[in-house]
Amino acid sequence: MLKFLKRILSDFDTSHRESAAALTGVEVRELENIFALLLLGSFVGLPAPPSFLAVELLPFMERELKVLNSRARDAGDMLAEMCGTIGID
Amino acid sequence: MKILFFAGKGGVGKSTMAAAAAWQLSQKFRVLIVSLDPAHNLGDIFGTVIKDGKTKFTDTLYLEEVNLRKLSREYLQKEIDVLSSTYRYLQVLNLDNYFSILKYSPGIEEYALLTSIEKTIRDETDFDYIVFDTPPTGLTLRFLALPKVTITWIDRLIGIRRQILEKRYTIHRIRGTLSSEETILDYKEEDDDILKRLWKLSDNYQTLNRTLCGSDCHVVLVFNPDILSLKESERLIEGLSDLELPLRLLINNKVTEATEEMAGYVEKQMKGMAKDVPLERIHLAKTLLDGRNGALYDIRESIIPDSW
Repeated sequence: MLKFLKRILSDFDTSHRESAAALTGVEVRELENIFALLLLGSFVGLPAPPSFLAVELLPFMERELKVLNSRARDAGDMLAEMCGTIGID
Repeated sequence: MKILFFAGKGGVGKSTMAAAAAWQLSQKFRVLIVSLDPAHNLGDIFGTVIKDGKTKFTDTLYLEEVNLRKLSREYLQKEIDVLSSTYRYLQVLNLDNYFSILKYSPGIEEYALLTSIEKTIRDETDFDYIVFDTPPTGLTLRFLALPKVTITWIDRLIGIRRQILEKRYTIHRIRGTLSSEETILDYKEEDDDILKRLWKLSDNYQTLNRTLCGSDCHVVLVFNPDILSLKESERLIEGLSDLELPLRLLINNKVTEATEEMAGYVEKQMKGMAKDVPLERIHLAKTLLDGRNGALYDIRESIIPDSW
């Protein structure tokens, strides 16, 4: 019984922590998106830094590129994106 | 070690002036002259063939012609190697070759040029003087502007990167011991590869910028007694002062008796633009300047002031 209660409490804790972290998570994702966009913006016609800077950092940009890609994919459905962010199912 | 840049419009005699200055200086000091112009003629001026790397001309004078195409190729190859090793799995699909397309990226030439200047300044410390003969105005201003522009960009990118890491750290703290894919991401500044690379780049450029704007760097502006050359020189002076690069000498080259009046006018204009910068007038030689036996060494005017 005690074990069961402990489990409930821990799950409760987890869920609260997760929801607290979620918004910051969104923020991080957006920042990573901006970072990648600034660095590789020349591909979509944004004023870009000297392109060698992009070349120099490209080897480490795998995650940022993935984020950029997924953001671009989801951009067509901003409403769903927003609902997801504020937790409306 | 002192660094001299000879700048000016195409065809005003930058290379000849740089060569003559290098020769004069080499009578007293150890001098390296480097041609950055893609259309090299340093070898022709000294009447010798310059091989890859430094070539010894006399005991105190060394010549070097920078091969831009080779430099940009080497630089990109290095980056492509890093990319290919990071994305090694692509080799299985034989897709790694696609990275080679990077060699067509614009702006790589200026960067290669800047890298070569940086490398020369860093490595050739046993010379008293390094004389750079630069490509025509446009390219010169672009690559001299690169360190400043790049530093600005790098600073901004470092700012964003730090914010990302900070947020990642917050998430890590909130989630506590919970392990998920997100918490595995680097959140410490010293673990982040991108930030480390950015810091290193920033460091390199700050050093280079300090050297270029420092008191041991001299930019010499060469011009001719004609309006076109005057106009372009004015633009160059503006560009240099925007970049806070030290213009230290004006040379009015190829003055003849017939152009004496024009020379006076151009000099007056230039003096108005660049006050307190000494001006030297060099007359057009009657004989063709050509190599070891020619009249190059007979440029009587001492080009570089003794005070440098």
